Amino acid sequence: MARVPILTFADLLIASVQEELRDRDALALQEELSAAIARTGARGVLLDVSAVETVDSFLGRLLNDLALGTRLLGAYTVLVGIQPAVAITLVELGLQLTGVHTALNAEKGQLLLRRLLAEEDRREYR
Amino acid sequence: MSTADPESFGETRLPIATDDDIVAARGAAREVAKVLGFGAVDQSRIATAVSELTRNVIRYATDGRGTVAIRALAPTERGTGMEIVVSDDGPGIADVTQALAEGFTSGSGLGMGLPGTKRLMDELTIDSALGQGTTVTIRKWHR
Amino acid sequence: MAETLDTTAAQTVIAEQRRTISELQTPVIQVWSGILALPIVGSVDTARAQDMNERLLEKIIETSSEIVILDITGVAVIDTSVAKHLLETVTAARLLGAEVLIVGLSTHTALTLVHLGLDLSGVTTRTTLAKGLELAFRRLGLEVVPRRTARAHGPEREGTDD
Repeated sequence: MARVPILTFADLLIASVQEELRDRDALALQEELSAAIARTGARGVLLDVSAVETVDSFLGRLLNDLALGTRLLGAYTVLVGIQPAVAITLVELGLQLTGVHTALNAEKGQLLLRRLLAEEDRREYR
Repeated sequence: MSTADPESFGETRLPIATDDDIVAARGAAREVAKVLGFGAVDQSRIATAVSELTRNVIRYATDGRGTVAIRALAPTERGTGMEIVVSDDGPGIADVTQALAEGFTSGSGLGMGLPGTKRLMDELTIDSALGQGTTVTIRKWHR
Repeated sequence: MAETLDTTAAQTVIAEQRRTISELQTPVIQVWSGILALPIVGSVDTARAQDMNERLLEKIIETSSEIVILDITGVAVIDTSVAKHLLETVTAARLLGAEVLIVGLSTHTALTLVHLGLDLSGVTTRTTLAKGLELAFRRLGLEVVPRRTARAHGPEREGTDD
């Protein structure tokens, strides 16, 4: 069972994929994150994929959709730990994942989330 | 252009029926690639290509069933190679040329992702006709 | 048998030499903490682009860099395939959390890229490496200031590095 545990940390959700995701595990993750955001009001999601060795076009698009979906629910998603081999394969497949924010590791990912949220909070119209 | 079929040995055959099989097939392909000395990036390319092709079987074949055969190729002047053959008894592809047509970005929409898969490999050939199933053969070498 | 081994050995040497040439042609240089520079000279074919991307990503991880300055001043021909390769480099680096700035675009190149109809709206560019470096510093919250003021106020103090 590759259920990805989702942890709460302040106003962030943290999910760390430990092993290869089957299609249905990836879809379940997408649903569970959405539910968790709605439930907790989290404003940021840190998704750690450093243990994922293969990301094909299905998973690539799913991650993109996941990020866009969380945005609609008011949360930013930052993907961290994409392996270099995976990054190269994704670009060669022709995917750009423009909807996803990315960072090298969890630490930088959290800093990025803080920065994105701070920028959003600063936006004023008067 | 493929010449005569290269000599192969050490075949691993796996069924394709569920999405567990996609993970199993790409894992097996990755292992063989590792043993054959392919680098990390090539392993990722091969595993991803296998993932794309086996998913196509589940998505498009009539009862979503097929087989994947992973073979090591006898060393030649092209180096060490491996070959993966994904076949099914599905509806077949009407226009193979169109299915392989290169687009700039394949990021949107469904479709079989064949141009992307072809980019990852050194060779990709399709044997398919309407009502006669599909066999996709991919090969990759390294020195 | 011996013949096959010699050919294999020769092939390995050729492959290694190719990689060495590639490294010399496209070195990945750390110009500052967090900033990498990639000066490209000559042509960019698929094999070279792949090799360059692999080494760039390794370096990004090794140095935890967040900015990559891709200098294309020395790239002879910018056509669709070269532009695609450059965009791939941009995307790959971005997936590892690094921003890529492309510098060294001539007016001619800029017009060519526009005519090719490629979407480069997500890419930040500057005309020179110096301007790219200036932008990179700003992105990292850094500023280069003269030391005169510090000396005038007393004993020599080391300026902050990062």
